[in-house]
Amino acid sequence: MKKKKLLIVEDEKNLCLLYKEELTKEGYQVTAVSDADSALKQIKTKAFDLIITDIRMPARNGIELITQIMALRKDVPIIINTAYQSYKHDFMTWAADAYIVKSASLDELKAKIKELVG
Amino acid sequence: MIERYHLFLHDFPQETSKELQLFSIIAQSFFQPFSLMDNLLVIMTALTAGSGLGFNRAMLFLAKRGALQGTYWLGPASLEEAESIWRVLSTPGIGYYEIIEHNRALVSADADTLTKRIKSLTFPLDQNEPQLPALAAASKEIILVKEASNEPLVDRRFLETIAAEEFLCIPLVGKEEILGEIVLDNAITRRPIENRDIELASLCGLIAGNFIYTSHLQRRIVEMKKVAAMGEMAMFVTHQLRNPLVTIGGFADQLLDPRSSAAKRERNLKIIRAEIRRLERILLRLTQFLKVDIKEPVPVDIREMFKLVSQAVRPRLAGKKLTLKTEIEPGLNSAFCDPIHAGEALRNILDNAIDAVDVGGTIELRAYRENDEWAVLSVRDNGKGIPERVKEKIFEAFVSTKEKGMGLGLAYVKRVVEACRGRIVVDSQEGQGTTFRLYFRAKPKEGEFKP
Repeated sequence: MKKKKLLIVEDEKNLCLLYKEELTKEGYQVTAVSDADSALKQIKTKAFDLIITDIRMPARNGIELITQIMALRKDVPIIINTAYQSYKHDFMTWAADAYIVKSASLDELKAKIKELVG
Repeated sequence: MIERYHLFLHDFPQETSKELQLFSIIAQSFFQPFSLMDNLLVIMTALTAGSGLGFNRAMLFLAKRGALQGTYWLGPASLEEAESIWRVLSTPGIGYYEIIEHNRALVSADADTLTKRIKSLTFPLDQNEPQLPALAAASKEIILVKEASNEPLVDRRFLETIAAEEFLCIPLVGKEEILGEIVLDNAITRRPIENRDIELASLCGLIAGNFIYTSHLQRRIVEMKKVAAMGEMAMFVTHQLRNPLVTIGGFADQLLDPRSSAAKRERNLKIIRAEIRRLERILLRLTQFLKVDIKEPVPVDIREMFKLVSQAVRPRLAGKKLTLKTEIEPGLNSAFCDPIHAGEALRNILDNAIDAVDVGGTIELRAYRENDEWAVLSVRDNGKGIPERVKEKIFEAFVSTKEKGMGLGLAYVKRVVEACRGRIVVDSQEGQGTTFRLYFRAKPKEGEFKP
């Protein structure tokens, strides 16, 4: 079976590394970038099965990124993965398919990815 | 055609009725920088000013914890005293400032036995069958009492205190709640209370209720703002702590995997250690901000402070190949501040400057005198400047232009400078650069600091 392709947008260097390693271990093909502009570059040239992004990032924030992803690739599911609990009820985040508050255990994130892409 | 009049009237024509003048004074007192107690004092004064609404004495109760609490009692204790008070109050040209001053002195003076007599009085409002004075407030009705000794609804303890057969109880109410009560009598002149007196007193009662209600609302708003600020702070702190915690948790889990190599284990441990240090820095920042405790500014050697601060930022300067120019005006040796906090504040500003300038840029750290009185420590950079939209808010806590910033740096600087009785000025042009100036006293102001 072909590996599912994930794009992770996370500006914290160590977290980015952690997600990449852990999700690769789960059997995904993972591309990790640290800002929205690099993410857009990736999305324009490659097809992803799922995009996981933070909201607060330098330069362009996650919400802007999501808007642009939706314009480019309407069908790709998006998970918002952030340290901010408070954005959860913000209507702008409804555009995403899931909202996960970062936790020291990656189980919730892994389960959500499985649910969305298999 | 239109005609314009000043909102606040001061000079009334001779024929204006005393009542209208008094109500004007009462209404305007709300706009004065008076406290609630002063506003109420104006109303109580209007009620008792001999030439005004004409009651002899006025008693104020405020509702506290389900009971009427005696607050003050205005008026003469005897006929002789009455004459002297009324003479003062009917002096032509007497304004509300004078009235307030006069009555403030009256209610706070030791000799004021009337107020003393009711301070200890409380009457519960929530009893099954409240007696007067609580009955009027509890039922939100104006009650006129005549032949009080024969009236079973009058509390005996209260009757002994007021020692008057006829008195008028005016409830003070807000939208829903009971706020207090005013009790009026003519015990000195024994003039009967008439309908007209009741009408005017009821108006005063409504205004007093309004004043109390508004002041309660204001207090509630201040409390809510505090809670909101705390919520904001909690949110920022939570976020700041979450990222390092997630990183530590994830890499610790990997350590538990028996398949991970020795090299990976070592790498993970290093990451965990680094994240723990970051957590520590966050906590340090936060405690530093919350505990600015400066007792007395002392003379601090500027040369020494500059030296320490420059050393502290040297690695960051080198990292971006920046030049730091330092200059101290000859003869200026010390600034009155706190040696630790002021140095830390200066370092915060330097750190911001380092963030703001491009690689190879220049930062100037200067100290000079202004008007002989101030020692100015300035940090100037030729960086990107502060965006116009945040300029006004940069000194507020939890406002940051940096995505990873706590927004505590400049809030801390401001607290430090103000605690040292100095001030801070910022000058910034987008694309040109920013200059921060910290003003500390160059020498002690006369009588201000201990030698």
